[in-house]
Amino acid sequence: MTTALRGSHDALAASSRLQNALTTPAGVAALRILVIVAIVGLLEYFPWPASAKLWRIRPSAIVQTLWTWLVDGLIWEHLSATLVTMSLGYVIGCALGIGGGIVLGLLPRVNRTLTPFLAAANSLPKIALAPLLIIIFGLGYAAKVPLVAATVFFLVLNSTLDGVKSADPDVVDAMKVMGATRWEQIYKVLLPSALPWVFTGMRISVRYAFTNTILAELIAANSGLGYLIESNAARFDATGTYTAVLVLVIVSVSLTETLVKLEGLMARRR
Amino acid sequence: MGIGMAGDAASGTMISLRSAGKQFSARGTTLRALQPLTLDINAQEFVAVVGPSGCGKSTILNLIAGLLRPSEGSVRYDGSEVTGPNVRVGYMTQKDTLLPWRNVRDNVGLALELRIRSASREAAAARVAQMIELVGLAGFERHYPAELSGGMRKRTALARTLIYEPETLLMDEPFGALDAQLRLLLMDQLQRLTQLRRITVVFVTHDLAEAIALADRVVIMSARPGQIRRIREVPLPRPRDIFKLRFTEEFAQLYEELWNELKDEVAKGTDNR
Repeated sequence: MTTALRGSHDALAASSRLQNALTTPAGVAALRILVIVAIVGLLEYFPWPASAKLWRIRPSAIVQTLWTWLVDGLIWEHLSATLVTMSLGYVIGCALGIGGGIVLGLLPRVNRTLTPFLAAANSLPKIALAPLLIIIFGLGYAAKVPLVAATVFFLVLNSTLDGVKSADPDVVDAMKVMGATRWEQIYKVLLPSALPWVFTGMRISVRYAFTNTILAELIAANSGLGYLIESNAARFDATGTYTAVLVLVIVSVSLTETLVKLEGLMARRR
Repeated sequence: MGIGMAGDAASGTMISLRSAGKQFSARGTTLRALQPLTLDINAQEFVAVVGPSGCGKSTILNLIAGLLRPSEGSVRYDGSEVTGPNVRVGYMTQKDTLLPWRNVRDNVGLALELRIRSASREAAAARVAQMIELVGLAGFERHYPAELSGGMRKRTALARTLIYEPETLLMDEPFGALDAQLRLLLMDQLQRLTQLRRITVVFVTHDLAEAIALADRVVIMSARPGQIRRIREVPLPRPRDIFKLRFTEEFAQLYEELWNELKDEVAKGTDNR
């Protein structure tokens, strides 16, 4: 009886020691590796029925495909296509959004007139325009980039517009009495006031640019990670599709991590 | 509109409100801020406007600055109707309108960057340094408004206004948020500065002692809607010793006399709220 009690007491102490160990960073990492191993093992050795042939996941095959793509350069080609589309769309969307936001912010009457049209254009999921863009531009950057740019444009436009409107009217009045011309009021008060808002819009739209790039590639492209997924799926190549998705996950996580780091850096600067 | 001293109007009328009133309408209701009032202010005169809060004191300044148009009557400055922002005045509003992204030095130098008052880089830097010294902010040139106390922000705003040497200064409770000692110090500075540079001043305050100490004439306003209740000359000789003035017999008499006028209005002003 007493030994049994002591035994259970020892077991309790041991389990609490183990719990402590598992909350350390190394312990957490070990647990995560365990989860990966379990999932990979399950996927690899699960007795799938024959009917699952079309969609079953086999990690070993995925690793093999990934290696092939890395060696023959296929993956770099598609990855760079995705990054180029995203960057081009992002830069164009930001430039037009900032420019348009400033102009509309400074011309309230024009802004009031255009607001319903802009709201309608903004509420339309841009991807719905993909088929039209394919008709006009064919498959390629000319079809993909506008889709990304349009999404970024509206986000940056709206935040820039809010930023210009956020300027303190009392400060603008003070500038007027000081003798500032309209241009000087814009240049010295309205634009600096809008700057933090512009940055917020630009920061938020990075993620939208990425998502929309992939969407555009799924529909309207002949290159890029989205296209890689779509083309493999079209051939009923489950392994190829999973491999492409895996690459997408890696890129997406890297992008998010980079952004979080950058934002942390910017926040500390301020 | 040229900038410079009003040499020709040296002793004439500089600011003239003729039955100038103001009412605002918003959401279907009209609010009268200022009853039509007539007031002439001479060049180089220091006029203090005293009254309970909400009596339209600030509205008078906004009319002279050209930021508001009168609903009736007219506002003339140096002989011509004020139709837009009056760039011959320096306006220190109640709320300091410093630019939060500029440090003290760049806020003070703001006016000298404007085309209308352009100065060479060296000349501007020298004047900025001189102005900062004058208002006692030396050592804080690189501080941002958010890092300053309320009093320091007021002094930065004062330096920013004085730096372009406006011929008329409009001040809306400029020393309201300051502690008593600093307030006397700045009043003394203001007095000497306005005498030296022959500046016309319209000074809005709710502090009667401040008004008497500084002004050539004190205008007492009635409670809302604002109207002139009394205009009183302050016959105290200049230059005045701001620090000792308030203990003199003449000052006490004036204060007593004007306070009797003002206290009814202050009571009314509080009742209305």
